[in-house]
Amino acid sequence: MIVTYNWLKEFVDFEANPDELAALLTMLGLEVESMEKLGDGLDDVVVALVEEKRQHPNADKLSLCRVNNGTEVLDVVCGAQNFKQGDTVVLAQTGAILPGDFKIKRSKIRGEESCGMLCSDKELGLAEESAGIIVLTPGIAPLGTPVFTALGLKDTIFEIGLTPNRSDCLSLIGIARDIAAKLDIKINYPSISLVEGPEKTDAVIGVTIKDPELCPRYAARYISGCTISPSPQWLVKRLAAIGIRSINNVVDVTNLIMMELGQPLHAFDCLRLSGKRIVVRAAEEGETFTTLDNQQRTLTAADLVICDAERPVALAGVMGGLNSEIEASTTSILLESAFFKPAAIRKTAKRHGLHTESSHRFERGIDIDGVVRALDRAASLIVELAGGVLAEEAIDQYPGKIERTPITFRPEKANELIGIDLDRNVILDILSRLECQITQNNDGSAGVLPPSYRIDIEREIDLIEEIARLNGYDKIPATMPVARVVSDRPTRHQEIEKQLRNLLVNCGMTEVINFSFTAPDAAGKLLLSDSDPRRFAIKLANPLVDEQSVMKTTLLPGLLETTARNINFRSMDLKLFEIRRVYLPREGEDMPREPLCIVGAVTGSRDGDGWSRPNEPVDFFDVKGIVESLLDFLDVGGISWVTDNLDPYYHPGKSCRILAGRDCIGSVGELHPSVQKNFALEKPVFCFELDFEKLVKLSRTKKTIGAPSRFPDSSRDIAMLVPEELAAVKITDCIKAVKSKEVEQVQIFDVYRGKGVPDGFKSIAVRIRYRSIERTLAEEEIVALHKEIVTNLVDKLQVTLR
Amino acid sequence: MREQLEQLKSGALQAIAASSSVEALQDIRINLLGRKGELTALMKGLGTLDAAERPVVGQLVNSVRDEIESALVSALESAQQNVIAARLQTERIDTSLPGRRAQKGTKHPVSLVIEEICSIFAGLGFSVAEGPEIEHDWYNFEALNFPPEHPARDMQDTFFVENSLLLRTHTSPVQIRTMLKQKPPVRIIAPGTVYRCDSDATHSPMFHQIEGLMVDSKVTFGDLKGILTVFTNQLFGQKTGVRLRPSYFPFTEPSAEVDIACVICGGKGCRVCKNSGWLEILGAGMVDPEVYRHVQYDAENISGFAFGMGIERIAMLKYGISDMRLLFENDVRFLRQF
Repeated sequence: MIVTYNWLKEFVDFEANPDELAALLTMLGLEVESMEKLGDGLDDVVVALVEEKRQHPNADKLSLCRVNNGTEVLDVVCGAQNFKQGDTVVLAQTGAILPGDFKIKRSKIRGEESCGMLCSDKELGLAEESAGIIVLTPGIAPLGTPVFTALGLKDTIFEIGLTPNRSDCLSLIGIARDIAAKLDIKINYPSISLVEGPEKTDAVIGVTIKDPELCPRYAARYISGCTISPSPQWLVKRLAAIGIRSINNVVDVTNLIMMELGQPLHAFDCLRLSGKRIVVRAAEEGETFTTLDNQQRTLTAADLVICDAERPVALAGVMGGLNSEIEASTTSILLESAFFKPAAIRKTAKRHGLHTESSHRFERGIDIDGVVRALDRAASLIVELAGGVLAEEAIDQYPGKIERTPITFRPEKANELIGIDLDRNVILDILSRLECQITQNNDGSAGVLPPSYRIDIEREIDLIEEIARLNGYDKIPATMPVARVVSDRPTRHQEIEKQLRNLLVNCGMTEVINFSFTAPDAAGKLLLSDSDPRRFAIKLANPLVDEQSVMKTTLLPGLLETTARNINFRSMDLKLFEIRRVYLPREGEDMPREPLCIVGAVTGSRDGDGWSRPNEPVDFFDVKGIVESLLDFLDVGGISWVTDNLDPYYHPGKSCRILAGRDCIGSVGELHPSVQKNFALEKPVFCFELDFEKLVKLSRTKKTIGAPSRFPDSSRDIAMLVPEELAAVKITDCIKAVKSKEVEQVQIFDVYRGKGVPDGFKSIAVRIRYRSIERTLAEEEIVALHKEIVTNLVDKLQVTLR
Repeated sequence: MREQLEQLKSGALQAIAASSSVEALQDIRINLLGRKGELTALMKGLGTLDAAERPVVGQLVNSVRDEIESALVSALESAQQNVIAARLQTERIDTSLPGRRAQKGTKHPVSLVIEEICSIFAGLGFSVAEGPEIEHDWYNFEALNFPPEHPARDMQDTFFVENSLLLRTHTSPVQIRTMLKQKPPVRIIAPGTVYRCDSDATHSPMFHQIEGLMVDSKVTFGDLKGILTVFTNQLFGQKTGVRLRPSYFPFTEPSAEVDIACVICGGKGCRVCKNSGWLEILGAGMVDPEVYRHVQYDAENISGFAFGMGIERIAMLKYGISDMRLLFENDVRFLRQF
C-alpha cells in the first residue's frame, strides 16, 4: 500500500515529521518498507523573477537573463525560448543537485557568466519530457521560496508492507485511523455533499442479486448528463504519487475513492447496459466474457458476474467488461459499490490469473457497512468534476446483513497475557480510540463491538493484541519466564548425528548441503535397474524446474554432481560428505519414510600438493578407513565386508557391502567407470553410503574397559605366500581362531607382489604380539602358541611360509 | 714402579689434553683403565711388592687413577659439549615450510548455526524436536489456523505433493506434532529443512528454519521478549539491541517481527539494513487459541509463545555472506573457510 505524508495529514493532524511518522507506522505493525522524499535536497531550487532578458552576444539560441531570487539579482544564461521578461520561473541556484546527480555550478557559457539554471519539469524529475522551462503563475509564492514548497509538491511517499489481516489499511483512511488512535487525536473523515436531482435512481435502473451468498450487498447510483474529460491536475498528481495512471475524470474518481476509503468501485456506461438492469449471478459454465484488458475469458459456475439484462458486463470484484466501459462519449453512468464474498473473489482472481487492486481488496475483505458511504463520496466527486445530475437515493440491496454481537473482553486477561499492568480504564480507552463500542457486563467483563471495517477482530485475543499494539510493544518489559523444570536431553539420534558430523569433519571431510529434490533421471545415472525402489521417487506437483521435480531417494547423485562442479573450479582434491534425509514412499501409507543417510565421496590426491610426502592418489582404503573409524566410534559389532550383491554404480572388483551380522548397513567402494563418466568425472571417485537409522540401532552404548597389562610383550612375524584370491581377513581370522588371551594384537604389516613372488600369488606379512595380563610369558609358551598358529595357517589355508 | 706410575700419569694427562673427540677419550679410558689397560696391569703388579711398600704404592695407584679419571670425565664433558655445539652450529631446517597436518574438514555453515542456536536454547531448557518434511496440509496450515483459501496462505508459496501432502513451508508443524504428543509444560526448538516455491537472489526453494515453542501455565509476551533478548545477545553479542514490532501470523497473537540492531553498521544505517539500522531476524508471538483448540489444550489455563527464524539469514549475518546462493553451491573454496 502506497500512501503520502500530505494526503494522510488531510485526515489526521499529526505533528510527526516524515521520519517520525515512518517509525510510528512501523511500530504500529504497518511496516514502512521504503520512503521517498519528493523535493528533498532541492531547497536550492527556488521561485525567481526574470527582471531582464536579452540576447546572448555569442550564441543565437541562448539568452542572458537577470534573475531575482528574492535576495539578489543573478546573471543566468538560458537556452529555452518559452519565457519572457517579467515571468516567474524556477531557478536552480549554484550548489543545487538536481535528480540524476546533476550539480549546478557557477560557469561561463560562451564567454558569459551564469550563476544557476532555469529549470524544466524534466530537470526536476516532475515529468518524463518537457517542452521548455517552467513558467509559474505570477505571485505564486515569495521569490526565493523552494519551488517544491511553492507548488505544494513537497511530500513523502511511503510504501507500507501490509500483513494480510489488515485489510482495513488498504486505504488512506485506514492508515490515518491507526495513526489517530495511536496519537489519541481526532480523525477528519472526508466530506460528502450530495446534490440529488428529481429523478429516482430506482426508476431508472434495477438491481437484482441472484446469489446473496456471494454478493451480500450491492449499491448503485445513477448520474446522467455528465461529461467525460481529463482529470484536473490535482487528481492526476495525487494518483501519480501513489502509482496510478490517470484515465479520465470518472475512472480516476473511482480509483481515488478506492485508495481513500478502501472500497473498490466500478463505473458502467449506463447507455450500454441493456435494459438498464444489473443482475448479480453466478456465471454459466463455459460462458465467455471480455474483460477491460481486452482478454476473452471463459468463465466457470464458481465465478460471480455482474450482468445487464442480457450478458455479463463485469467479472464481479475483479475487472469490468469492455462492453460497458466508460468512453469519451459516455454521458450517463451507473456507479457500483458492492461487497463480494472474499473467498469467491480470491478463487476467481486466481483462476483467471487476474490480480487487480479491486480483487486484492475484496479477497481480503472490505467494510460492508462502508459500501454506501464510498458510493456517495464518489458520486459527489464525479458530479463535481464531470457535471451531470445525480439521481435521488442510492439503490442499496443488502440481503446479507448480519447483526454483529459484542466480544466478551476481560481487561485483566490482557495484562496477564501481555505481561503489563495497565489500568482497566486505560485499556478500555485504547479500544474506544479504535472506534470500538464498549458496554459493561455484569460479571465485570466488557462487551466490545469492533468497528465494521476491522474484520480481523473477532475474539478476545484479537482485542488483547490491539492493546499490546496500541500501547506499544516497546513498553512491554522483557522478563524471564517462571517455568517448571523439565529434564530432557538430546535423543540418541540427535546425539549420534552431531557426533558423526564431528567425526567426519575430523577425518578431513567437508560437509555439503544439496537440495532435497532432484531431476527425475538422477537414479538412471546410477545405472539402477527399472525395478530398483530408488527409482520410485515422490514427485512434486508444481516444481520450479525439472531438475528439482522429485524428492531424492539417494543422496549419491547430488554429492557426485557437487564433486564434479568443484572439480570444474579446479578444486581437485575433495573429501565431501552429506548427512541428510531421503524420501521413500511406503506401500499403503500416505506419509513417506524420511530416513537420514550418510554419504561420502573422496577423490584426488591423499595429501594435496605437499612438499614432504609423495603426492599419492586416494584409493579404496582411504574411504574404508573413514568408514572403519566411524563404525569403531559407534562401536558397531559383527562387521564384515562382502563383495556380493553390489549396487550397479560400484566398481565390481573394488567395492563391498558392509554387514553388521547379516544386516547390510551400507557400502563402500570405487565408483563404476560408466557412472563416473555419467557424472563427467575424470578421475576415480571413492564413495561410501551408510544407513544412519541402522547405525543408531546397532551402536553399542555400553563399553567395558579393561586395565592394560603391566607385563612385557613379545612379537613374532609370519611372512607367507598365498593365492591372490585369498582374502587377507581369512588369515587374521584364522590366527584369531586360536582364541588365546595371550594373542594381544594381529597386524598385517606388508602386502607384496613382484620379485620373488610367483604370478597369481601375493606375499602377506603378519605381526602377532603376545602378552598376558597376568604374568610374564615364558619363551616356551610363546613358541608353542606361535607354532599352533602357523600350523593352523598352513593346514587350513594352505599358505606357504617364506 | 713409582716412576712407571708417574710416567703413565703424565703420558695419560697429555694424551687426554690432546684429544678432543669423545671416541678418542673413550679409547684412552679403555687403554688405561680397561680390563686390559696399562694402569690395570700395573695394579695387578702390586702383589709382587713388599708388604710394607704395598699400601704406599697402592695409594699412589689410586690417586693416579683418580686423577686420570677426573681428567677424562671433564675432557669427555667438554668433548660432548663440543659435539652438541657443533650440531647446533650445523643443524638447520626451514621452519617456514608448512607443517604436516591432519587435514581439517568443515561443517556446513547451516549446520554450524543450527548447532549454535540449539546449544543456546539447550541452556535455556529447550529440547530439540523434529518432524517430517513431507507434511500434511493439516499440520502445515489448518492446525496452525490457516483455513483453506485464506489469504495468509499467499505468504508462503507451497510445493505440493499428491494426497493433500506438501513440502512443509515452515518448521511450525513440529509445534502441532509436539503438542499432540505431550501436555504442557512444553519447551522445544525444532530445526529443520523447509521449502517454498520461490527462487531468486534472496529466495532459495529449500532453506532451513528453527522453530521455538514454550507453553506453560503463565507465560507472557514479556517472557517472549525476555527469552529472545537473551538469545540474540548470546548469538550476536551482549549489547545487541532487540526490537519487537507488531506483525501477523495466523498461528500467533499478538504477533511480532523481531529486529536486531544492524550487526553490520551497529544501527547507524547501511546497505544491509536498508538504512533502517534494524535487521529483521525472526517472527514470533503468543500461540493463538485456535492452535490450542486443534491440539486439545485448554487455552484458558495455559499460555505460551512460539518463534521461528531462518537459519540462512542468520548465517549470512553472522559470517557476512552477501549472497544466499553461496550456501547451496557447495563450493569447497567457500565451505573450507568455516
